[in-house]
Amino acid sequence: MFSIIYIERQIADHPRTHEICARFPNATRVECDRYGEVFNPNAQNFRLQKRNPSLILAEKHKGRVLQAPEGYGLGGRNNYYFSHMLNCLYDCRYCFLQGMYRSAHYVLYVNYEDFENDMGTILAQADNEPCWFFSGYDCDSLAMEPVSAFVQHFLPFFSRHPQAHIELRTKSTQIRGLLKMTPIPNAVIAFSFTPEEMYRALEHKVPTLERRLQAMLQLQQAGWQLGLRFDPLIYQHGYQGQYRRLFQQLFSQLNNEQLHSVSLGTFRLPRGYFRNIVQLYPDEPLFAGAFSTENGMVSYPQALEQEMTAFCTRELLQHIPESLLFRCTLAA
Amino acid sequence: MINLVVALPAEARPLIAHYRLTDKTTRGGFRIYRNAGMSLIISGPGKIAAAAATALLGGCNSDAEQAAWLNIGIAGHATHATGQNLLAHRVSDHATGKSWYPPQLFDLATTTTSLLTVDTPENCYHRDLAYDMEASGYYAVATRFSSAELVQCFKVVSDNREHSTAAITAESCAQLITRALDEIDPLLGALSALSREHDSWHAAPAGLEQLTRRWHFTVSQQHQLAELARRWKVLVPDQPLWLDTLDTRKKAAEALQCIQQHLDSLAPGLLQATHEPGV
Repeated sequence: MFSIIYIERQIADHPRTHEICARFPNATRVECDRYGEVFNPNAQNFRLQKRNPSLILAEKHKGRVLQAPEGYGLGGRNNYYFSHMLNCLYDCRYCFLQGMYRSAHYVLYVNYEDFENDMGTILAQADNEPCWFFSGYDCDSLAMEPVSAFVQHFLPFFSRHPQAHIELRTKSTQIRGLLKMTPIPNAVIAFSFTPEEMYRALEHKVPTLERRLQAMLQLQQAGWQLGLRFDPLIYQHGYQGQYRRLFQQLFSQLNNEQLHSVSLGTFRLPRGYFRNIVQLYPDEPLFAGAFSTENGMVSYPQALEQEMTAFCTRELLQHIPESLLFRCTLAA
Repeated sequence: MINLVVALPAEARPLIAHYRLTDKTTRGGFRIYRNAGMSLIISGPGKIAAAAATALLGGCNSDAEQAAWLNIGIAGHATHATGQNLLAHRVSDHATGKSWYPPQLFDLATTTTSLLTVDTPENCYHRDLAYDMEASGYYAVATRFSSAELVQCFKVVSDNREHSTAAITAESCAQLITRALDEIDPLLGALSALSREHDSWHAAPAGLEQLTRRWHFTVSQQHQLAELARRWKVLVPDQPLWLDTLDTRKKAAEALQCIQQHLDSLAPGLLQATHEPGV
């Protein structure tokens, strides 16, 4: 999978570094002082690098667990997000990562224990109030599980701290690890979907809709709480029929009474990220439509956005009660 | 376009012959050899000369959207045998301690190595890596012209702990490069293909020149026009950028508005793509 693994010198002897490198015995190991030397230089092209990204093993020194933006959450008051990894195995054309990062290399922070300590501090300060920790912001939560053992490591922490809730957002079918564990009530495995036509056009390297649905069914049968995430909503001609068919396909097979939550989010990107992505993919039909820019964010024109949200909300409420539906309304 | 930066005439000779770089010029004291798709500049030894030559070549070929760059030359190595071909996965400058990491996108047979640019010929080979005298100067400048994926360093081991630099001659140097051509060729082929593909993403649609000849666009309007041209190329790929209604538009701003209205009226249809499902 990786021909080169870059390794920060200070974690060259970390046990997790050794475990990961052992999985790729033929990879060339290149030491660096700090991962930013490899990851941050401006003269890099995300689209070109996505053809063959390398792995960077690093230590996350600060800013490990951050407060989630307002409007992001599932009903809780204390919402945080964290990323054990930067960049995603998949290549979804609407993804903000393409616009945010210059490099497509994967950065894996091996100091999981420091992340846990930070979460512990937050929990202690929250005085037993529930806290939500969202994973899957800078990467897919499950896609690299065979390499990262992220879920294997972190879920026991949440098992020990029932007031801490974790959302594992994913498009992956790497659920073997989860199926071997005893489900915990404070974990939600949240699968993201777009309609089949949009999946084919935009979600490169992502498992098929059907395979993700089968993974969900296996998890549901095993007792895991599941979420559905329709975020971002993508517009194209005929979107209404496409989303309707998607919802019917999902809800006709899933046990809706065992669903934790369903969330909707509109397509929006910071203007700078949008500009970067369009520069990378000037030929992408997704970016050829009319967009609106307001308060530094690029999105569909407001009327269209409202129409799409209203339509999808109406359709979803035919399948689920309103108490399960959350709308992600990120401010600029 | 491929830009080759080579320090020594002896290193350059096999490349000039093999790639038929018959067009020779001199600019700023540097000799440049070209054919239709490739330029080679002889920089002279040292990283400052390499940086200067790279900057000159980049400036000469500034029309090339994203040229591919390759520094080719001989290098010392602590442990590799003479004649071993190497591709740099890290280029470091001994004097400053700064490092660069050329992304390795291609599945090639060439062994990769860390490469350290030194200011004087290396004879001790303390560390198990390659030593040269140009790469850091070249790399720092070439990445100002092209994205790092298109900028690479290829070295052939000419000296090591058993064979000192004193034994290197112009003849042996040329022979080393000649023997390396069977690994240089596929590398240049891969770089060239990547560069061409990158250029194709940004090619302007047909008809753009007609617009810029007909109306004067301010700088801001040029940016707007470029954005509309991009959208046109996606939404109306089979037609040059023109509308009959533009005939009656007297000003650039009116032309831009006309094109925008037309594009906004085209609802994005089914998204087309070649899709590769994942596992």
